This record gives sequence, structure tokens and C-alpha cells, in this order.
Amino acid sequence: MQRLLLIAAVLVAGCSKGPEADLQYISKARSLGAEWALVNEQSNAGKLTGNYTRTMREAVREQLKTASSSLTQPNSNYAREIGALMAEPDDAPPAQLRAHADKLKQIEDGLESA
Amino acid sequence: MKPGDPIKLVAELLDLPIMDKDGRYCGIVDDVELSGNAGKKMRLSALLVGPGAYEGRLPRWAYWLTRMIAGDRIARVPFAEVDHIHTSVHLKCRAEVVGLHTVEDKVRRMIPKGGAL
Amino acid sequence: MTAVGGFVDISELVFAAKAGSLFGYALIWAFALGTIGIIVFSEMSGRVAAVAKQPVFNLMRHRLGLKLGLLTLAASAISTLITCAAEVGGMGLILHYLTGWPYLAMAIASTAVLLASMWVLPFKWIERTYGLLGLLMISFAAALVSIHAPWGKIAGGFVPHVPSGLSTKQMLAFAYFLVAILSAVLFPYETYFYSSGGIEEQWGPKDLATNRVTSIVGMSLGSLLAISILANSAQLFGPANVGPEIPGSAALEVAIPFGSTGLLLALLGMLFAVAGAAVETCMSNAYAVSQFFGWEWGRHKKPWEAPRFTIAWIACFVVALAMVLTGIDPMTLVEYAVLFSILVLPLTYLPLMLLANDRKYMSQYVNGRLAKSLGWLFFGIITAAAAAAIPLYLLTSGGQG
Repeated sequence: MQRLLLIAAVLVAGCSKGPEADLQYISKARSLGAEWALVNEQSNAGKLTGNYTRTMREAVREQLKTASSSLTQPNSNYAREIGALMAEPDDAPPAQLRAHADKLKQIEDGLESA
Repeated sequence: MKPGDPIKLVAELLDLPIMDKDGRYCGIVDDVELSGNAGKKMRLSALLVGPGAYEGRLPRWAYWLTRMIAGDRIARVPFAEVDHIHTSVHLKCRAEVVGLHTVEDKVRRMIPKGGAL
Repeated sequence: MTAVGGFVDISELVFAAKAGSLFGYALIWAFALGTIGIIVFSEMSGRVAAVAKQPVFNLMRHRLGLKLGLLTLAASAISTLITCAAEVGGMGLILHYLTGWPYLAMAIASTAVLLASMWVLPFKWIERTYGLLGLLMISFAAALVSIHAPWGKIAGGFVPHVPSGLSTKQMLAFAYFLVAILSAVLFPYETYFYSSGGIEEQWGPKDLATNRVTSIVGMSLGSLLAISILANSAQLFGPANVGPEIPGSAALEVAIPFGSTGLLLALLGMLFAVAGAAVETCMSNAYAVSQFFGWEWGRHKKPWEAPRFTIAWIACFVVALAMVLTGIDPMTLVEYAVLFSILVLPLTYLPLMLLANDRKYMSQYVNGRLAKSLGWLFFGIITAAAAAAIPLYLLTSGGQG
């Protein structure tokens, strides 16, 4: 029984380390989602050049890919949210992208206060 | 300061840049040569310029590295060729007369001449 | 070029935008404090150049001796080389945003243009070209005016304070950004370039007023541009949860009020400011090495008249480009540049203080009471920042939290 409790404690300690270690990537993904939304919003308003819009979207995708692959908890709710963000098309509506960013912000705030 | 004046070797001479009579930079005072003996008057006889002069001033491994990169040549500049010393050592003669500027002249042959305004 | 390339480089762009988004206007005072410091040290280095007729690095070896001088040279050369690589990478990125062409190809093209311009143009024209074109960065200040920024809050940001209600993690991040901003503002290459530039322009005691005005006005203008970027970010990015993570996002600050014309002006301003910084870092390294070993130096000479100096600046660009071509993230280069720089700062500014305080070299132009007090105050600040830099970097994962 004592051994089981010890294993459980180690597992729990290991689990709670995961989300904390992933916090920086969640924060990064949140910011990238918000930047993508801002780029699409300004592009839809005709305020950006085609080259800039395209290269910024490419940069966002590349960095999201890096953040996603760095996660220690790939089956977590935040990993799924980041995956959903990455699955959006390049010209996704800004509101949709912001919704992902807001969800990630909620997760981020929850982990920070835990 | 003029040659002949008393001089603080470290505070007023060592590691100062050297300029020849045409105002060209031609090295740093890397070390000095003294004449005289224990118990007798010491005089500055020459300035030593070049990576070979670092030997007494760097740890062994650092001097070995310096020698690998830059060689161990030393140019000896007789102190009589010094005109005056202030924030640099000013020589009475051109650098080539005292064996300075040789590397600069060798490297110059590698640089193409043209295109610069 | 003192104002723009010397001040607003890729590091300041990145850190100003992030600081504004994360902490609102609370880190404006860090820029202001760093600016006072760089004005003090620039003025001192210009004065040493004008009076002692020797640039700082020539006399640094004399004051520190060979061993400590070599250590300072090596440390500052590595720090400046990493900074140069960050600038070259930054230029590649900005050209990529402008043209859509591949980033690494743009980094190679940037290096080729920098090499060619430095070969062909004399010192005065290098300064004027990059300096004047970098003034397009004023578009960020114009953007701040047009978005009706809260000027009261911006003014409040100039007062040193720590925002209330921060968690321990946020406090550490705040401290990291404070140290990073001080480092980015007080980059050592700025004083080496400035003092060598004074010799290139043949400054004498009659130019001390010019030196003072250039230091104060130049650095202040650069600081105001950096603060504009921070304030725009506080107003536009913070509420939108934008970090920002991508350097190109800074240009959105001008695109939002002014559209695609504003975007182009911002990107071009960033390009020339970063290019100016690339030139300054490269020349600064070449100056430092040449002056330390007593080689001929100066861009007032033709390249073949100062051959080893010429090879030094060409080598600096080539090595910087090689670092970029390894594929390392330019933002990682920026982080390392800022980190290495703060570690080197005390070694850089101590000999400058000793020289400027030495009546034997400076005669009646020696440091007065104000310069002496401010100089030693800032030396204390940068030493404390240097001690805190690595622990803060590790604890905050480079400001990521």
C-alpha cells in the first residue's frame, strides 16, 4: 500500500510538473493566435501588403509547430486547443482565431494561479 | 613627456599606441628593454613591439595560443627614435626604419585597390 | 546614426514591443534610465577622443594592462559579434516581410549590400545613408500620436515604479525585462563606435559642445522612438493578448492607424535602423581589434590604406552571416546578444571612467562633479544588472515566464 502511495505521489508530482513546464509554450501559442488574428483583421481591412500577410502567417504557423512539438503533455486540453488553432486555414476569421487565443489565455491564467 | 624625463613604465608607457612621424599607427608598446644592472642606473634602451613580446606578460597557455595565431616576431624600436610621449608614443622616424608596419604592408598586397570613394 | 542605428536596433525593437504588451507603460522608465546612462558614457567617450586624441579602446589596454585588456577585448568582441549576427538576421527577416523572398537569401543579400556600401562609401556617407533613412522610424511616433495614446499614463511611465499586483513569476519577468532593456540601451559597441567616429571626424576640444549635443539629442531621439514602440504596444497589443512573438508584428503598430503606406514606412525604417546597427557593430569590432593591437584603422582611409582593419570588418560580417546561416532563430541571437552584453558592460565602462577622470590625459576637460557622480552611479547600476542577468534569464526562461 505504501509503495502504491509513493508511486502515486511521484506520478502526481510528475504530472503537475508537465503543465508548469508547458506554460511558456501555452503563452507563446496564445500570443501567436492573437497575432494571427490581428494580421487577418488588418489584412481584411486592406491595411497590409500581400507579402507581409503571407510571411507573417507562415511565421505564425512555424512557431506554433515548434511550440506544439515542445509540449510535454501532448494529450492535454491545451495541446488539443493548440492543435485546433493550427488546423485553422490561413485566412481564418479573426474572431475564430481570437476564440482560441482566449481559451489558451484562460488555461494559462488557471495554471499560473495554481 | 620627452625621452630623458623620468618615466613610470607601467602607468605612462606600457601598452600605449605608437605613431610614426607621418601619424600612422604602427603598433603598441608591448614590452620594454632596459639596460643597466642591479645596483646600477636603469635606462630604457628600446620599446619591444609584436606578439613575441607577450611571453613574459601572459600565462603560458595564452602565449602558446597567441603564437599559434599571430607568430612570435618582435620589432625593437630604439628609445632614441622616440620624439615624445603623451597619450601615444610619437616616433621621430617612419615606421619602416625601425622594422614596424611590415605586416600591414604585407596584408595590403591582399586588398584590391579600387571602388572606394 | 547615433540616434537610430546606435539606439533602435533589433534588440530594442523586440524588447520594447514585448515590454509594452506585458507591462503596459511600466517599463518606460527603464528606457529613460538607460538613456541617461548611455548619454553620460557617450559624452565621456567622445570627450576622451576629442581631448586625448585617442579612441577608448586604444587607451583601455593602457589602463587595464594586457591580460585584463585581452579579456575585455575577447568578451566585447564576442558580445558585439553576436549582436551583429542578430542585426544581419533582423535585416533578413524584414526584407523577407517586404518582398516575400526566402529569409536566408535575404540575409545573404543584406550582408552583400552592407559589405559593398562599407567598401565604397567613406565614413561620413555611411553615417548619413543609414542614419537618415533610419529616421523613417519616426512613423512609430506618428502612429502613437494618431491612436490618441493616454499621455498621462505614458508620462507616469517615466517615474520609476514596479506595477502592483504582480505574481512572483511576473516580478521576476519584470526584473528580467528591466535588465534586458538596460543592456540593450547601453550596448558597449555604441561607445566604441562613437569615440572612434569622433577620431574619424577629427574632433578636438573645440568640438566638445558638438559632442555633448550629439550625445544628448541623438540618444534622446533614439530613446523616444523606442518608447513609442513600447507605448504603441501597450495600447494595441497588450489588450489584444499579443506577446508579440514575431518581430514583424511591431510594424502593425504603424499599419493599424496608417494602412499599407504606414506598414511600408515602418518596415523600411526598421530595415535601415537595423542595417545601421549592423554597420555599427561590425565597425565597432574592427575598431576594437585594430586599436588594441595598434593597427592602422579608420573608414576615413581607403580600404587598402588600413588593410588589417578592412579584413577585420569583412571577417566580422562573414562570421555574423555564417551564424545566421546555421538556421539559429534570430530572436535567440537577440537574447544572447543582450545577455552577453550586460556581462561585459562593467569591464567596458570602468576604463572609460578611469580615463575620463584622469587629469593627465584630460587636463581641464576632466570629468566634473556631475559627470563623475552620474558615471559612478551608472557603473554601480550596470554592475548590479550584470550580477542579476544570468539568474533572471534562467529563472524566467528568457522572459517567457
